[in-house]
Amino acid sequence: MPIVTPALALVIFAAGAAAGGLGALLGIGGGVFLVPLLNIGLGFPISVAAAISLATVIATSSTVTAGKAGQHLMNFRFGMVLEVATAAGSVLGGLTVQMLAQSTLQKLFGVVTGAIAVATVARSRRRNVILDPNADPGRLGGRFHDEESGGTVTYQIKRIPLALGASFVAGNVSSLLGIGGGVIKVPVLNGWCGMPLRAAAATSAFMIGVTATAGVIVYYVNGQLLPTAAAAAILGVQLGSFFGLKASPHMAIQSLKLLLAVVLGAVAVVMFARGMR
Amino acid sequence: MSDAGLELLIGRVLRIGVTTSSICLAAGLLLSLVVPGAGLMLLNVGILLLIATPAARVVLSIVEYVIARDWPFTLLTTIVLMELVAGAVAAVLFHKKL
Repeated sequence: MPIVTPALALVIFAAGAAAGGLGALLGIGGGVFLVPLLNIGLGFPISVAAAISLATVIATSSTVTAGKAGQHLMNFRFGMVLEVATAAGSVLGGLTVQMLAQSTLQKLFGVVTGAIAVATVARSRRRNVILDPNADPGRLGGRFHDEESGGTVTYQIKRIPLALGASFVAGNVSSLLGIGGGVIKVPVLNGWCGMPLRAAAATSAFMIGVTATAGVIVYYVNGQLLPTAAAAAILGVQLGSFFGLKASPHMAIQSLKLLLAVVLGAVAVVMFARGMR
Repeated sequence: MSDAGLELLIGRVLRIGVTTSSICLAAGLLLSLVVPGAGLMLLNVGILLLIATPAARVVLSIVEYVIARDWPFTLLTTIVLMELVAGAVAAVLFHKKL
């Protein structure tokens, strides 16, 4: 494992900034970029890369949640229900990772990143909104101000078991691979469970803090969360996602998504190929 | 407290947690790069603060649900907190076995 010199810390900081910036532009969190940069680029074992990446996920989640508080986009109640499943998946993932070979994890990372690349371009965009602001959101649904509809909209939650199942898998993959897991939850919540995309994304961003915490505790106790490298990565990701979020409204998102899907596809191939060696 | 009030309170707690943690991490990182090993304490404080922030949010939610006498959600939120604790305990037991 590389020793974290001042020069390497600067490189990790830059890698974090790049990953955080790209992630914020895409709306998927930077873990899918940061883990390969740390693992293949800088030679950290994949479990160490995942631990560092999970720590950056917590920081991003806290920052984004604090920034969105008051907009009613985050559904705390439904999020809390789903956290029961993500946290369980995450703890199990963190324990499982200790028994898996680096090559197995790299192959898994390749497969999941490939799926994310496809999902990035082919993401479902169901509206799922009821225009009547007085409609009953049910016990778990919600209400928020939607610019697109020009008023307050309501949504209802459907297929809770499916949402719980997807959340468990998302939590599991999250702590196995060091990614947030929103890329698994958001399409399911939007496509099948009745949530509008913005509400699903905001609720997921709020949830991943607890999901990543459940996973990172296991890594931390096992001494896999290198303090210096983690600090450099966290600060880098914070900086990168700050600028990414600032820039995202001004970018041609659709073409950018296509480009980044290609980058993600390449990441998937590289990680899978490394796992096959 | 209303749902909106809880949202703002949670937002504030998360903001304070992540800011304090980042300050500790930045100071610890600079210190340990100048004098190797010197900033380790600060780095660990920063990381523990980072991990404790979402956990604090869960605890805060439990308190709010108890005050609102919302027992189903008090139970659910307590389960989430127990899972975090179970993760830490399992990691310690697991670590000793290795």
